[in-house]
Amino acid sequence: MASCTIHTAPYSCSISRPAAKAFSLGFHQRHQQLIFFGSGRRSAVVCSAEKTVVIGLAADSGCGKSTFMRRLTSVFGGAAEPPRGGNPDSNTLISDTTTVICLDDYHSLDRTGRKEKGVTALDPRANDFDLMYEQVKAIKDGVAVEKPIYNHVTGLLDPPELIKPPKILVIEGLHPMYDSRVRDLLDFSIYLDISNEVKFAWKIQRDMAERGHSLESIKASIEARKPDFDAYIDPQKQYADAVIEVLPTQLIPDDDEGKVLRVRLIMKEGVKRFAPIYLFDEGSTISWIPCGRKLTCSYPGIKFFYGPETYFSNEVSVVEMDGKFDRLDELIYVESHLSNLSTKFYGEVTQQMLKHSDFPGSNNGTGLFQTIVGLKIRDLYEQIVAERAAASAAAAKV
Amino acid sequence: MATAAAVGVSLSAPIRTVPVAKAELLGRKPVRIGQMLPLQRMAAAAGRGRVVVVKGTQSSTPPDISEKVEESIKKAEEACAGDAVSGECAAAWDEVEELSAAASHAREALKANSDPLENYCKDNPEADECRTYDN
Repeated sequence: MASCTIHTAPYSCSISRPAAKAFSLGFHQRHQQLIFFGSGRRSAVVCSAEKTVVIGLAADSGCGKSTFMRRLTSVFGGAAEPPRGGNPDSNTLISDTTTVICLDDYHSLDRTGRKEKGVTALDPRANDFDLMYEQVKAIKDGVAVEKPIYNHVTGLLDPPELIKPPKILVIEGLHPMYDSRVRDLLDFSIYLDISNEVKFAWKIQRDMAERGHSLESIKASIEARKPDFDAYIDPQKQYADAVIEVLPTQLIPDDDEGKVLRVRLIMKEGVKRFAPIYLFDEGSTISWIPCGRKLTCSYPGIKFFYGPETYFSNEVSVVEMDGKFDRLDELIYVESHLSNLSTKFYGEVTQQMLKHSDFPGSNNGTGLFQTIVGLKIRDLYEQIVAERAAASAAAAKV
Repeated sequence: MATAAAVGVSLSAPIRTVPVAKAELLGRKPVRIGQMLPLQRMAAAAGRGRVVVVKGTQSSTPPDISEKVEESIKKAEEACAGDAVSGECAAAWDEVEELSAAASHAREALKANSDPLENYCKDNPEADECRTYDN
């Protein structure tokens, strides 16, 4: 559905129901309502100038309270909470400006159904892409939807919950970019690419405390899901505007703990409203070790790399960080040398990282790049809002 | 309901009994001096008997999810014993992965809800106890 500026022809304005009427929970939606009067007959048409900004995030393994989401929502302000008074097993998170939807809710087969058919949740056959497209499109156009809930504990599809259009909608899951129609609805997309060694190390950390799990069972689980993952999930990274790739460190030989990580932020060039960050000089190739005379780092230190590359036949810029932060001043030193961060004040990245210093990854590139991507998305959102304001101002003059 | 003393759980305080979920007590997790389980809330809510402080391990998963994870691992191992490349095998291990993720989220949620002040302040940010000085 187009914005009001296009419908200047008096006889064919589509009336989109302003979502303001559907609100009751204090969402701060401000609607610009423009009233057009057709020549000849008086037809008052009210169009909404605010459409939801949709962000897609692809990552393996369950949805919900993942660290990236919490960082992202924190950049926009406020903490994202599960909807109050609803299903306690809901996967949705809501904050003042942002709503996060878990795409597992669009499973067409519940756990028993998948077991019967012998398909994993990664398989497209287990997901209803038509419903996903319909509902994301509706929310984008300002219409509230009743979204199904997939209960991860019971493995069943629970009765739906009402999702009201927020300012920013984040769809998180295994297949946000799989379906081309859904892909076209996304204003920005991110893919979290965790390498196999790191995935193994993280899963060990997560599951070893769990009774019943052993090293073999964790390994078997990863291996069994790998074919479907490689076939259906992994190809989505070519469509993403930003890919955060997490690899084992190159600073420590034979490190298998996964405590020190090498993280690469791969940013597509030429994406509307997204200016990739860079180090020192845009477009050149830089290798940078900040530790030296001005900054002392402890073992294994920090190493940066920046340069243009090609990724799946797309032009990209890559900023890479290997190592970990031990002190605040390392973080601020690094931040002061990165450019195009879209921060509103000096030290904002550091402040955001410190705010969530208990989150995993707060001392390495994962936290750093997730925070930076969050700021970039905020910048993108503000650009969209500014564009709309300018467009409706221009239309009002007409 | 089993009494704590009968199951050989070590108590930090003089003998008291509390009606507890059998599964929780028989949950073969070593009981250590440490944190308090939501058990205590349950006991207080139940209001019966006197309260015992049963200390649990650091990252305690709710027992029902924990059991589900265990079961699903066994089922997956059985399913794959026959044919390691079949769809059933993959689906079974996928279920294990899903339940492990749910278990880890449950653990996090337990940790997140364990501070009563935090919980109170989430609901009443303007209260005196919840004042923060950011600048």
